[in-house]
Amino acid sequence: MKTEERRTIAYSEESYPPMPTKATLYWRRFWPYQVLRWLVLNIKILRIVAGGHS
Amino acid sequence: MAKILILGAGIAGHTASTWLRKKLNKKHEVIVVSPAAYYQWVPSNIWVGVGKMSVDEVRFRLDKRYKKSGIIFKQAKAVSIHPEGDKSNNNAFVRIEYTKPDMVGKQEDVDYDFLVNATGPKLKFEATPGLGPGKNSVSVCSYEHAAHAWEKLQESIAKMEKGEKQKFLIGTGHPGATCQGAAFEYILNVHYEIAKRKLTHLAGIKWITNEFELGDFGMGGAYIKRGGYITSTKTFAESFLKERGITWIKRAGVKKVGPKKVFYELLDGSEHEEAFDFAMLIPAFSGPGLTAFNKKGEDITSTLFAANGFTKVDADYTKKPFEEWKAADWPSIYQNPTYKNIFAPGIAFAPPHPISKPMFSPNGTNISPAPPRTGMPSGVTGKIVAENIIDWVKTGKPLMKHKASMAKMGAACLVSAGFGHFKGGAATMTVYPIVQDWDKHPLYGRDIRYTVGEAGLAGHWLKWFMHYMFLHKAKGYPFWWLLPE
Repeated sequence: MKTEERRTIAYSEESYPPMPTKATLYWRRFWPYQVLRWLVLNIKILRIVAGGHS
Repeated sequence: MAKILILGAGIAGHTASTWLRKKLNKKHEVIVVSPAAYYQWVPSNIWVGVGKMSVDEVRFRLDKRYKKSGIIFKQAKAVSIHPEGDKSNNNAFVRIEYTKPDMVGKQEDVDYDFLVNATGPKLKFEATPGLGPGKNSVSVCSYEHAAHAWEKLQESIAKMEKGEKQKFLIGTGHPGATCQGAAFEYILNVHYEIAKRKLTHLAGIKWITNEFELGDFGMGGAYIKRGGYITSTKTFAESFLKERGITWIKRAGVKKVGPKKVFYELLDGSEHEEAFDFAMLIPAFSGPGLTAFNKKGEDITSTLFAANGFTKVDADYTKKPFEEWKAADWPSIYQNPTYKNIFAPGIAFAPPHPISKPMFSPNGTNISPAPPRTGMPSGVTGKIVAENIIDWVKTGKPLMKHKASMAKMGAACLVSAGFGHFKGGAATMTVYPIVQDWDKHPLYGRDIRYTVGEAGLAGHWLKWFMHYMFLHKAKGYPFWWLLPE
């Protein structure tokens, strides 16, 4: 369903959360940027794994 | 010669048995008892539930795997634990009952020097009348359940393709259920499959949860750094649903599932109903219902197990209010305090208390998530239990040098939001530590540098990569031991 077809109901639970903009959606699927994020996330996860047990 | 008996071949049990076998001399016996013939990589069941992976892509036979590495495998379920032996046997033993097709019902007593109880959870569908496969809803908790869910989902999709509207209800099927992350992943994937077929105008998709706020995930939610703010995972989770036009019911304890209707109580005590055509609802979990007896044959089940059936370990089980919970309450070596040669990693250990704050309705119903322990914590605790037993066997002393408290370990949760290497997506969440430590991190309960929430293709690639990496490791392929838990 396209965003324009939806109707926001004021004061409803669903009216408060943030909606991603077109730019945000673009970056989420722009693969060169996502390759970089993939590397960053891998490093963060490895740091967590390394520090999690002795 | 030491005999190490492992009950369960899930993530914790399999990790423990493979490390024990790798590091202990072959004169020591490593025995695995599991009622299932297959190992399954549970996180990928979500993809089985939307037809993106076959059952055989997420499982492999245990007998071949264990034969190759010298682990004795008995396809059976544990019935009772006898940590002091009995009148005719001075050795500690576990009574098992075979589930292997050619030996069904045959019982055997298996002696042990060390016992690793890694039985995981019992899926307690019976705690919610009408819940579960074969009744009125589906599940993705096992590969069989997920394959069945995909069959049912295809029926709904076929109806929509003929122009019929369908209502999808996905979430928790019990007031105290956990594993919200898996259900959340499933709802995003169901939406993705419906959107891919351009059928969203015929689909009403709704999330139902026992969380006080969305994004709690049974771990009290988390704070993450996004868009110039440090914000709650409530915002993150709600945004994910809003973006897809998915609505939600929160603070809901599902009490009964009818043929096409769910009956639930809200935290304010009010009773409601919600109609559905397709419902995937996660059941309550409990321990597997093992009993225990001492040498005289007296029942000592309550010595070994907590009331929920999970094994008591080195946690602080003193009853105290939420405000007094401490990181130190959580166990670090998963050793039973009475029988020191019994350990319980993974889901099998009894947590000292939930992570999320318990919430009660005016009718006294506890509507709040139980603590999750699946995935990374299961693998890590399975490994440190194995390492401590290995030290004990080699030195003859219980050194207990290896520790992994959920209040000191992190976890990564990769929430798939659609299977596609360029058009799919996922939410990547990491928390460090899993259990908040408000003394160490008074502002956010966790280290904000390693507590991450991020949407994008990278998360999908990570989940896809981890599927193959962890199956490589579980199958014992070359250099498996280099891969982290």
